[in-house]
Amino acid sequence: MNTEKVIIDPTLSSFLSIKDVLRYKSLLNNLAKRDFLVRYKQAFAGIMWALVKPLINIIVFGYLSSKINNTTNTTTNFLYVASAMLLWQLFSNVFNDVSNSIIGNSNLFSKVYFPKIIIPLSTILVCMVDFLISLLILVVLFIISGQQIHWQIILAPFFIALTLINGFGIGLYFATINVKYRDVKFIVPVILQIGMFVSPVILPTLKYLGPLPEWLRCVFCLNPMVGAIDGFKYALFGGDAVYNIYYFVLSICVSILFLFIGVKYFYKFERNFVDYI
Amino acid sequence: MGKNTVIKVEHLTKQYLLNKSLLPKSDTLYGSFLNGLRHVKNLSQKQQKEEFLALQDVSFEIERGDRVGIIGRNGAGKSTLLKILSRITPPTKGRIEYTGRMASLLEVGTGFHGDLSGRENIYLNGSILGMNKHEIDRKFDEIVAFSEIEKFIDTPVKRYSSGMYVRLAFAVAAHLEPDILIVDEVLAVGDAAFQKKCLGKMKDVSSSGRTILFVSHQMSAIQNLCDKCLYLKNGKVVDFGVSEKIIPQYLLSSQALNSIVLSDLVDRSGNGILKFLSIKYKDGNGSVITSAIAGSSLNIEFEILSSASSVLSNINITVGIDDEHAQRITQLNNNNTNQIFNQVLPGVFKVHINIPVLPFKGGRYTISLFASVNGDIADWIQEATVLDIESGDFFKTGRLPDEGQGSVYVDHNFSLLS
Repeated sequence: MNTEKVIIDPTLSSFLSIKDVLRYKSLLNNLAKRDFLVRYKQAFAGIMWALVKPLINIIVFGYLSSKINNTTNTTTNFLYVASAMLLWQLFSNVFNDVSNSIIGNSNLFSKVYFPKIIIPLSTILVCMVDFLISLLILVVLFIISGQQIHWQIILAPFFIALTLINGFGIGLYFATINVKYRDVKFIVPVILQIGMFVSPVILPTLKYLGPLPEWLRCVFCLNPMVGAIDGFKYALFGGDAVYNIYYFVLSICVSILFLFIGVKYFYKFERNFVDYI
Repeated sequence: MGKNTVIKVEHLTKQYLLNKSLLPKSDTLYGSFLNGLRHVKNLSQKQQKEEFLALQDVSFEIERGDRVGIIGRNGAGKSTLLKILSRITPPTKGRIEYTGRMASLLEVGTGFHGDLSGRENIYLNGSILGMNKHEIDRKFDEIVAFSEIEKFIDTPVKRYSSGMYVRLAFAVAAHLEPDILIVDEVLAVGDAAFQKKCLGKMKDVSSSGRTILFVSHQMSAIQNLCDKCLYLKNGKVVDFGVSEKIIPQYLLSSQALNSIVLSDLVDRSGNGILKFLSIKYKDGNGSVITSAIAGSSLNIEFEILSSASSVLSNINITVGIDDEHAQRITQLNNNNTNQIFNQVLPGVFKVHINIPVLPFKGGRYTISLFASVNGDIADWIQEATVLDIESGDFFKTGRLPDEGQGSVYVDHNFSLLS
């Protein structure tokens, strides 16, 4: 007999508890496993599809970028775009999938209790697996081009984690709104579309911020993906990927702030989701 | 909390806010577009909300090993109580304290995914119900044996027959080992053999000192399983005590409600040769019920008075059933079934209508009654009474069909031709 006492009352507001998440670890794994297995079931090419979309984006935007940049060093430019694009794709998948995760799994938590944060967390796992597969593209590109790797590469996992934090924080905020207002479904793709062009994906930060006045550059760097992408490029290529260290730190601070707001907002309404679904 | 108390519920209240839309719903694309604009414009204004108390000041205590039946009419707050107890939705006021591990089965097979194999679904469903990998590993063989699907364990469950699906889903649930088990009646419908297996398993669970809360409309099942009953009405506790005391109390009140007297109704037309006196609803076993369950058998009984001086022939009886939007859903007509009554003696006679499988979704329906003799209207009562229908397991799959997908269930079969 388990003698743990549970109290249910209206004031009890839960908050992210690592203990709860660990207790439901096997649910977390099984949900991620389900999403991953189901995605490629009955698809002939199966997991190969995880490579196709990023590959096409890299080719199209890499070509576009070298035209706009008017650079002589096409190979390096391509590598820049490829690394930024993969990271952006990770952010885009996490953001989009997390924001849809709650309403997509309402059939579960309207019948059984478990910490609802498990659902978006499992979404991250799935996106991460896709990302790791797509990293193969980068590895191959590095080998073909003979690009050197520097000591900074050890920083790469940090910027990947930062990207996950960005997608998760903003995604949670939208997942919460999504419970009541399904408009989110239409808004998220628009944000992502605009977001890609105001992030240093196709052009390096310096390039597209160049013609802007100083204060506007600062505003652009409030975009949390600026820090993540520039940092990732620095980790892979070194050099001057980080355009301005202050703005870079500012962007990372915005990431942390978004995560905090997202989690806070999610937990404010989490207990009442069932009444609004 | 007393030494043996496992669940203590104090002054539990649940309030729902119903959105009262100020804007009329629109059927046209253009109209809904305009409504969308108005919505955005009115965003700053506070929407009018209507309050609805699903539970009001509910208090009770349950001791270890109790088997408690929760009974009450449609809308009494039974489901809301279960949802709060199983932490799916929070209470508005009040407090619940419980000790031990709780598992709630509001449906079987929560989270089952058609594309996954039986094996994968056992792990997924088990972890949703709160089992960890180690526990599922340990019970895996038992679960498979109980479900009798060994051969198909690696086949996607979408290829299963509905019987196999339910067996597997129930097998997982049955191997949970909670201290407190909460079961909704969805589990207790399905075919007779399944019901028996289900009730048997629950008895096993309770005999090992665990506590059970069970919601059902079937008094036979409650009587069979539960030693105590909680009787709810309009969100309040009417009484809580031993089953022998509470069940008759509930049946009495529901009988009074359900043998609806029609003779007093004055808003009727016709020549009065025939007069509807009363109407009763009964389930498949012949016990009087307050509300019918979708997918189960419904019997309707009328008492009709013939005030003619001689034997009547060519009697047509028609029952019209309307939904909440006053749309006629169907008509039960003994002319359609070619069962016109002849040779009816003067005095009171009874008419019995059987619907073997009730195909309507849950809700409140309005009943209109009509009787004619030789084509002359004898008695006609529009909106004579209501029929409450509870959602039920129409397809015998252990789950309730999706809400909001039409109002009528049609028995059907799918098969894959590749």
